[in-house]
Amino acid sequence: MKRRGRVLGHLLLLALVVAGFAYWYGTRLPSSSFDGKVAGEPKPVEVGEYAARVSDCVACHTTEHGKPFAGGLEMGTPLGSIYATNITPDREHGIGNYSLADFDRAVRRGVAPDGRRLYPAMPYPSYAKLSDEDIAAMYDYFMNHVEPVAEAIPASNIPWPLSARWPIEYWNLLFYREGTYQPDPTKDAKWNRGAYLVQAGGHCGSCHTPRGTAMQELGLDETDPAFLSGALLDGWYAPALRGESGNGIGRWTEDEIVSFLKTGRNKHAVVFGSMMEAFNNSTTFMTDDDLSAMAHYMKSLPRDPEPVWEYDDSTQAIFAGGMSAAEPGAQLYLQKCSHCHGRDGKARGSFVPPLAGSSSLLADTPASVINIIVNGAGRVVANGVPDSYRMPPYRVTLKDQDIADLATFVRKSWGNTGGAVTVEEVRDLRDRTNPFSDRVILLQMR
Amino acid sequence: MAFTLNINGTDMEVEAAPETPLLWALRDHLGLTGTKFGCGIAQCGACTVHVDGVAMRSCQFPVEAAVGSQITTVEGLDQDGQHVLQKVWTEMNVPQCGYCQSGMLMAVASLLNDIPEPTDADIDLYVDNICRCGTYPRVRAAIHKAAELMKA
Repeated sequence: MKRRGRVLGHLLLLALVVAGFAYWYGTRLPSSSFDGKVAGEPKPVEVGEYAARVSDCVACHTTEHGKPFAGGLEMGTPLGSIYATNITPDREHGIGNYSLADFDRAVRRGVAPDGRRLYPAMPYPSYAKLSDEDIAAMYDYFMNHVEPVAEAIPASNIPWPLSARWPIEYWNLLFYREGTYQPDPTKDAKWNRGAYLVQAGGHCGSCHTPRGTAMQELGLDETDPAFLSGALLDGWYAPALRGESGNGIGRWTEDEIVSFLKTGRNKHAVVFGSMMEAFNNSTTFMTDDDLSAMAHYMKSLPRDPEPVWEYDDSTQAIFAGGMSAAEPGAQLYLQKCSHCHGRDGKARGSFVPPLAGSSSLLADTPASVINIIVNGAGRVVANGVPDSYRMPPYRVTLKDQDIADLATFVRKSWGNTGGAVTVEEVRDLRDRTNPFSDRVILLQMR
Repeated sequence: MAFTLNINGTDMEVEAAPETPLLWALRDHLGLTGTKFGCGIAQCGACTVHVDGVAMRSCQFPVEAAVGSQITTVEGLDQDGQHVLQKVWTEMNVPQCGYCQSGMLMAVASLLNDIPEPTDADIDLYVDNICRCGTYPRVRAAIHKAAELMKA
């Protein structure tokens, strides 16, 4: 008895030591390359503002009608809701007391000054690659050029003990890789600049790279075939940014990619869905040189073997003679869609996007086509001017069956290869994008 | 930017931003006011014209995309306004206020081009233009009458 008690005691002690270490490890402050350094003299606003634009901080750290960077945007996790923080220089509610090293630890390492780990909804696995220079520029911008806002964000509803943050350090151990972007010496400066922008600040992979079971991105750079290979997030399908001619940008030239990111459109596509936020807040403000570098890098990504999309003009014949017997999707297309998108499904200039060969109509998942028919497109603003042509919402005018028929039709016409869409898929997405639904989609990770 | 548009068989120059809707190019730049503005979001059909023989809603058609196409407006349906549809329309007293009718005529002309003898179901599918006065029964009757005349 006595011996067994002693063994138990030892085991308990060991467990305590392990738990203590685990807790210490999950709350300790990692080092920063800015430890012991003080921020320099304030820089002109453009310097840091540009870096913050590229990283698109405002997209998550501002609510639709809220003050810039005051936080409060609700994001869903499997455990409950979390809220983007106030990153204005307010000393009580914001980051006003952060040193440069504190700021760096939060952005590139995902650790708050008190050792709390941030949820990886903050894309610090991507921001880890940001240069010291960009971190210092952003710090300068937030501290010296952003208005402090004395507003608290709502508290998370994740219950204890699930609300403990230190276990996130173990997620980091598995999925986070420390270290700034290291240029590839075999590639030219433009390619490296593009890779830096896409992987680090641009954090394109947050939406365009598929995620694993722990919500980790399955690849963080071009060495991984999953990187930017297309992903479903927040009810939209972010298409592949790799070289596929179908669901990818294989048919886009570098100039067309630049045009898309700068003006919101080209002859292949117009910005819609979640990309609208990335466009309105970030890419449209980037320099032509930077956009060109991103396009250059994206075009260097390899393509996976998959069928090449080719235009099939047999669809047009359907409309040219007695439609009463045609399938319901074709009839609806004629009435609701053809007036803008044409019977040929081709682009109208660079303003009305083509449906023939559209990434969303070639992808396996039909989320984007259902979502845009139900909810329409948002306001794409380029150079301060809202778009002239916009997809209207059909939430009220079309039934689930109508939308399923329509989506099925456009996903198989003009050579498109997306599969059929079911009524259940439409019903589900309609409900989950209804703000009054109790199961509305909350933004997840960006 | 300058665009050359082929309208009713004639090349015309338009100086406009590329996103300008074809409707505005027609009405404001070229003075072809037969084509009407209704809803501005391609839902009502008042602005219907033919682009390469097919009915399109010109309020949602960027002028940039109209270059190289044959555009026909209600003015080009017949030089003297004596197109069979126009005759039947007058004879059967189809229009009431008339605002939607130029778009209606263009939609019907496109329908009869595709389907010379349309059924009621065909008419419902192809001519979904909206008429505030509710002239739909007369439009339908006039379409059948015109189809008969055009066949003869």
